[in-house]
Amino acid sequence: MSVVQGLKEYMLRQAKLDRIIKWGIKWSMWPVHLVTSCCGVEVAHTSAPVFDAERWGVLPFNTMRQTNVVLVEGTITRKMAKVLKWVYEQMPEPKFVIAMGACAVRGGLFWNSYHVVQVDTVVPVDAYIPGCPPTPEAVIRAFFMVGNKILGKPGPEVKPVKVDLTPYLPQPKPAAKPAAKPAAPAKPAAAPVAPQTA
Amino acid sequence: MSAKLPPKCPPAADHPLLPKIKEALGDLVLSHGVSPDGLLCVMVPAGSIREVAQRLKALGFDQALSVSAMDYMEEKKFVMLYTFASYLTPELKGILLNVRAEIPRDDPRVASIADIFPSADYDERECHEMFGIWFDGNPHMGKRFLLDPDCCIDEKTGKPLYPLRKDFKVPDWGLFG
Repeated sequence: MSVVQGLKEYMLRQAKLDRIIKWGIKWSMWPVHLVTSCCGVEVAHTSAPVFDAERWGVLPFNTMRQTNVVLVEGTITRKMAKVLKWVYEQMPEPKFVIAMGACAVRGGLFWNSYHVVQVDTVVPVDAYIPGCPPTPEAVIRAFFMVGNKILGKPGPEVKPVKVDLTPYLPQPKPAAKPAAKPAAPAKPAAAPVAPQTA
Repeated sequence: MSAKLPPKCPPAADHPLLPKIKEALGDLVLSHGVSPDGLLCVMVPAGSIREVAQRLKALGFDQALSVSAMDYMEEKKFVMLYTFASYLTPELKGILLNVRAEIPRDDPRVASIADIFPSADYDERECHEMFGIWFDGNPHMGKRFLLDPDCCIDEKTGKPLYPLRKDFKVPDWGLFG
């Protein structure tokens, strides 16, 4: 007992526990599925024997109370956003969110829909996976990104970039007609001149 | 040479379903035609859509596959689009029938056929929610069915907006983000 106590005090003193906890979290990221679209097929592939993401501790699990990662797989509608928020709040700390697929990142195909929201307006997102749908390798890479984030290491990061596309859109035509209209009344004004000369 | 040729549709007078439809509906058929997919389209007056549905049911059509609408904003009308099909009648297998009816856009009302074809109930509720068409006789009118309760509501007046109408403006929060 005294040995365990002494070891505990030693590790606390040396501040090693923090690193060990982080190391443990990094190798046990258990995602809960939020399958709202076709990306769920690729996640099934990720944990299948070929790609076998459990080699890196990614074990798909059933309920949100026993997991620490939300893997948002697909389009989030306004009704489903409430479910996403609810799932996120049920999970124990520390918890992470991965937005998978073009729909979850920025709406994808439904970018101007009346009923689709972006995931990062609902919950804080730790890693984005672009693609429609992303490959299993990309999913595993996103888990590496979250792992780097946990350890505090600098690593590759994927984030959506804001691009202004307005110059490439069809522009509304400038009002050139009002300039042409004053020229038209000039002819009737010139017409009365003719009878005078005649 | 193109790999995929367009489907060859019969002329409207030669459609195999046309004699039966003319016999069943009689003077309710305003006009008829054939779509590029080979479906027979029949235009009927909007006030007699219940009678049309009853006569089609007597003919052997046992389900309404879809109830939808098309928004002709500049002509100020909706065109209701009913698709009927049959599982049980052998002569009608593999045949879809489009029935169309025009209703005015400022007061879109049409009679419900949900008690004649029960499969039309959900379609009518969705169509009411997306286009604002009021189906007289359907008890679920005026309620939200598929949409989020907080979504598509005019902030000034508090009235619901109908997202599949042509004049609906999509909120541009995610436009180029």
